[in-house]
Amino acid sequence: MSDAAAAPNVLVVDDELQIRRFLRSGFELDGYSVSEAENGREAIRAATLRPTDLIILDLALPDLDGSQVLERIRSWSNVPIIILSVKSSEMEKVRLFELGADDYVTKPFGMAELLARSKVVLRRKARATTGDSVIRIDRLRIDLAARNVFVEDERLTLTPKEYRLLQILAQYPGNVVTHQELLKEIWGLPHINDTHYLRIVVRKLRQKIESEPNHPRILLTELGVGYRLAPPNEPSDAQAS
Amino acid sequence: MSRMRLLPQKTNQWLRAAAQPGGIVGVLGALVLVAATTLLLEAVKGFLDLPPVVITYLIPVLIAAIRWGLVSAMVATLAGAASAAFFFYRPIHTFYVEDPARRLGLLLFAVVATVAAYLAVRMRREAEIVRRREKEISDLYAFSRRLAGGHSTSDIFDAIEKHLATVVGRRVALFEPRGPSGRSEPIGESDVPQKVRETVAAVIAGRADGAASTAIADEHGNHWLVRAVSPKTPDLGVVAIDLGMQTPESEQEIRARIEAVLFDAASTIEKIGLAHAITEVRMRAESERFRDALIGSVSHELRTPLASILGAATVLCNAPAVAGDARLASLANVVRDESERLNNEIQNLLDATRITGEALQPKLEWAEVPDIVNAAVERRRIRFGSHAVEIDLPGETPLIQVDAVLIEKALGQLLTNAAKYSPPGSRITIRGWREGETLALAVSDEGAGLTADDSAHLGERFFRGRRHVQTTPGSGLGFWIANAFVTANGGTIEAISAGEDKGTTVTMRLPIPANVEQLESISSE
Repeated sequence: MSDAAAAPNVLVVDDELQIRRFLRSGFELDGYSVSEAENGREAIRAATLRPTDLIILDLALPDLDGSQVLERIRSWSNVPIIILSVKSSEMEKVRLFELGADDYVTKPFGMAELLARSKVVLRRKARATTGDSVIRIDRLRIDLAARNVFVEDERLTLTPKEYRLLQILAQYPGNVVTHQELLKEIWGLPHINDTHYLRIVVRKLRQKIESEPNHPRILLTELGVGYRLAPPNEPSDAQAS
Repeated sequence: MSRMRLLPQKTNQWLRAAAQPGGIVGVLGALVLVAATTLLLEAVKGFLDLPPVVITYLIPVLIAAIRWGLVSAMVATLAGAASAAFFFYRPIHTFYVEDPARRLGLLLFAVVATVAAYLAVRMRREAEIVRRREKEISDLYAFSRRLAGGHSTSDIFDAIEKHLATVVGRRVALFEPRGPSGRSEPIGESDVPQKVRETVAAVIAGRADGAASTAIADEHGNHWLVRAVSPKTPDLGVVAIDLGMQTPESEQEIRARIEAVLFDAASTIEKIGLAHAITEVRMRAESERFRDALIGSVSHELRTPLASILGAATVLCNAPAVAGDARLASLANVVRDESERLNNEIQNLLDATRITGEALQPKLEWAEVPDIVNAAVERRRIRFGSHAVEIDLPGETPLIQVDAVLIEKALGQLLTNAAKYSPPGSRITIRGWREGETLALAVSDEGAGLTADDSAHLGERFFRGRRHVQTTPGSGLGFWIANAFVTANGGTIEAISAGEDKGTTVTMRLPIPANVEQLESISSE
């Protein structure tokens, strides 16, 4: 793992030379140092040999399936992994999130979008290593240690299910948690298909934490996949409040 | 008519004829009627001066003629004359008639009764023919309506099968020569024995003669008749008719009738150009399949290089060297925006292929309407440019059970159209409301509106308004895709415009499940 002050290392895995080229330029212009792999085996080797902060992984690789690469790397490392794919099927996304992908970007995409998402997953990892138990998103403050939730310093009364939902999402703010995972965690396996339970709790929670529940800014929907929290505020804002 | 053949050559044939209306039932019926008339006359003769007795016997004769036919009427005539002679004409209780005038009267009665019976029978037969014609015509009308509504050869064969079943009056299974599965399957869900299927396959393959009908008995002793609908070609299908358990003799008869009916049906089918219609439908389906396969693979092949172009363009746009030079920056922006557009067109083609490829199976899940609306707006934020997008949803909308991703795409198509066909800076409004058992979502713009011609063709694939073909780029797929996606989710879609340049409002209506209130009442404790 590299020093926090140094340029983050990103490993770009894609068999298309042209894609690797623009990803390299895009990341380098944004201050990353880039290494490349053009197939699955090379990617796994590179991830073990070099300190890597972020992996951009294309799903269609000539030797291994991208999801296999994801699974192998996840077996020893929790390095953030963003999946690239020309397929935009929600079922595929759900599967990959459950295998441990941090984000999913459909090809074609703009560099700005990928950079923004990379920043979110990197910040999440940084926060995880500092072990901060307070998360601030917009006007919401979640204190995971004290199990308290505040909106602009006013303490909210949440039902156990509402708090549980927020807690699961807050463990990886910015990360999508799938419907099935949430249902399994909160209601248990028998209710894994009762999406309406989830919708109702989300609706009630939004009424408490969002200023416009019909236009949420904190608890966001990933249509057909799951929910995520908006990226947390920058640490500097956190200190200020 | 079979009831006319009363001279039996074989006992079983005679029995069969007798079992038909006008057979033994007719004879017995005639005798009962005559007996009843006699009793009636006997009862009243004590206190009334009898009218010419023999005339009264015309009543059972006419009833028998109308009810059972000529044979029965003749029996009634003879019985009537005999009863009159036996019970009412002196000497009573003998068949001998003393009075010559009465003898003449009896003779006249026989003649009049025969003529009247004959006329009655003919009238009845004509009425029957008219009734049958009427039914045939209404059957044929229903048949041609079903044909006109058929979109695929299966629809057409389904219609033929129903038509044949109606005219033959038996269980009929029609086999399409080259069904969608490539094999010969019966059209309906009828269970046809294996042996019959084999014969059908042989006829279709040309190994057996389709013109001559083949009779087969299955393992339960049921007889089936197999033949091509048209003796000229198996293209109109091969039909298997369940004759049930029949003796060989009766089978002969039914077979003759079925042959006649099939002959009529085949010539009708040929007359209405069915063979042509079938070929046409089949060719259309083939070419659509081919086109969709082509579009599918082409769009996939196009997307891969496009990903590099778009990605590289976005890197260029933000690179300091380019961003610092206004001219270069604007060029880089052109590359980026146009590849975005190309990407959307490819996405539309892919969506269109999914629709025609019948791969469109909505994954129904409970969804929040605001989530769908927000996603649709968010995803197209850049394309709205200077348009003001306004969302107007009620405080709480009921949950709906839809494929949220498909509805989001449909709504996105409507938003894209609204932005495309309305001037920059104008307002686009998304409104949602509950309308009884449906949830309505409307997208309104202040743009080009629809002409009567536009409205008439709006639902068609690749349709583009005449005013826009030259000025606004597009493929004419957007509304068509939106329509298909909404329909697949059990909803409807409707476009209304006050006229040219008066804006358009497109409203989609999605069903609200009946049990939604109950589901929503669960607590979040």
